[in-house]
Amino acid sequence: MNAIDANGVKKSFRGGMSLAKREVLRGVTLDARPGEILGFLGSNGAGKTTTIKIVLGLIRADEGTAELFGHPAGSKEAALRTGYLPEMPYFYPHLTLGEFLEFCGRLSGVPPRLLAERIGRVVETVDLSPHRDLRLKTFSKGMLQRAGLAQAILHDPDLLVLDEPFSGLDPIGRRLVRDVLVDLRARGKTIFFSSHILPDMEALCDRVSIIRDGIIAKTLGLDELMRLGEGRIEITARGVRMGTLAPLHEYVSAAADRGDETFIVVRERRFVRPVIEHLYGRGADVLAVAGVRRSLEDIFMQEIARPAVPGGAEASNADRPRDPAVFAGF
Amino acid sequence: MNRIAAVAINTFRESARERILVVAAVFGAVLMGATVFLSPLAVGARQKIVMDVGLAAISIIGVLSAVFLGGTLVHKEIDRKAIYLVLSRPVSRPAYLVGKLAGVVLAVSLIFAVMTAVLAAALVLGDAALRPAVFAAVYLSLLETAVVASIVVFFSTFTTPMLTSFFALCCVAAGSLSNDLRVFAEKFGGAGTRAAANAFYYLLPNLKVFNLRHEAVHDLPFRVGDLALATAYAAVYVAAVLCFACLVFRRREFA
Repeated sequence: MNAIDANGVKKSFRGGMSLAKREVLRGVTLDARPGEILGFLGSNGAGKTTTIKIVLGLIRADEGTAELFGHPAGSKEAALRTGYLPEMPYFYPHLTLGEFLEFCGRLSGVPPRLLAERIGRVVETVDLSPHRDLRLKTFSKGMLQRAGLAQAILHDPDLLVLDEPFSGLDPIGRRLVRDVLVDLRARGKTIFFSSHILPDMEALCDRVSIIRDGIIAKTLGLDELMRLGEGRIEITARGVRMGTLAPLHEYVSAAADRGDETFIVVRERRFVRPVIEHLYGRGADVLAVAGVRRSLEDIFMQEIARPAVPGGAEASNADRPRDPAVFAGF
Repeated sequence: MNRIAAVAINTFRESARERILVVAAVFGAVLMGATVFLSPLAVGARQKIVMDVGLAAISIIGVLSAVFLGGTLVHKEIDRKAIYLVLSRPVSRPAYLVGKLAGVVLAVSLIFAVMTAVLAAALVLGDAALRPAVFAAVYLSLLETAVVASIVVFFSTFTTPMLTSFFALCCVAAGSLSNDLRVFAEKFGGAGTRAAANAFYYLLPNLKVFNLRHEAVHDLPFRVGDLALATAYAAVYVAAVLCFACLVFRRREFA
């Protein structure tokens, strides 16, 4: 049984005074498997937060279903097993961190005899022990974010739904949150989180679902991420004269001069050797050969440049991106 | 029950740390204190003046506090999305509303306690007897405040704090007059007017049943049965209003 199962979820909102509805979700289908970290990626307005709210039962889907551990989204059974960190959360500023966590624990049904011990543990986990008796209104944005993570894990849920958990965190805070999430996965918890900070997502996720214009454009597993990450190979050479590269147009996708050096992008790994031999044969000097991995950001940027296709159709790899800053075209 | 109590305690804490509560309590206390100094002007009726103004102040300040505290508390929580933290947990929407109402009533009770203590002190210092009717009148005012708070919670589930306060105050004004309007319509109105007056009478709270100030001030007898009846009326009215609030709130989406 999956931790999250969303099938064909559609949602429209009426905008302001307008009677016309705007379709925000156009049939989102995604699943989070037990014990995995599923990243949820999409540009602003793509439908990430709306999907998360439907999964949590805060809003209802117009069409389609959302279930958590086989229970309908928003049901008591689902809520008991879920921890949630909203995007830009507002925590009651009049409460101290301890009071706030006590409130959250009681709402989640943590037995009173366990509550104090649990609060002590999560406060330590998020490194806020010295601030337990301070009012939340005195907290920085990063501290509030960590307090938010503390309330989400307080009742030891099986599923964590985190909306932008790295927002507002400094590098130390980001590292701390990453470590907490890795630890939770090791304990068999399922984590579903959205983020704009792609290196964190790349480092943490077992799979990544990319949402675009209200549909899941692609879901990538770790293997596929690695495969798609196999990027271009760059050769740096000196003494490349005009016309030297002309016979290599089938091997080379782009090249650009910078000072007395030339950067050459080779289309495929098997073309590296003939290109190097050609350069040496024309009196050029090869300074470096480097493979440049494509990041999740590259893949994401490529994905959002495509037209949205319902059902998450696989995209071809033919149109790999070029880096316009370096390669001026061949 | 534990979850309702958690919401109620949190609401109480938030209200108790709001400036409006302190201002209301201080204002009420000062008002009652002032009557002690002004009452010598009313020769022979000093204690009556203190009691009359004191009980009226408790009732008015209690109702206004409920309107302004309740109106902003629920809306603020929705507006700032703190409600996500509550409703993403195993807390039903009715439980949330009941907790909110209980928290507001608890907070207003605090004002009642402060003002009643000041009134009692003013009466004792003026050598007046603390009659049971005084406390009965305060108790009924608290019930009145709970009824008004439930109306505030109802409006706050679907409208802004300003409109919530406006609608609630309209209900208070109309509720204070609904019985008079009904009697007036019975005597002088046509069939349509009588039906409308009857509808208003049953729909709006009859706040007159919570007014025992006249009996307390003039030392008139009152029946304990009336207190029980008023308590039952308040309980039924609050429950009915909360049911309507839950019906509205259940459909509410937090986009």
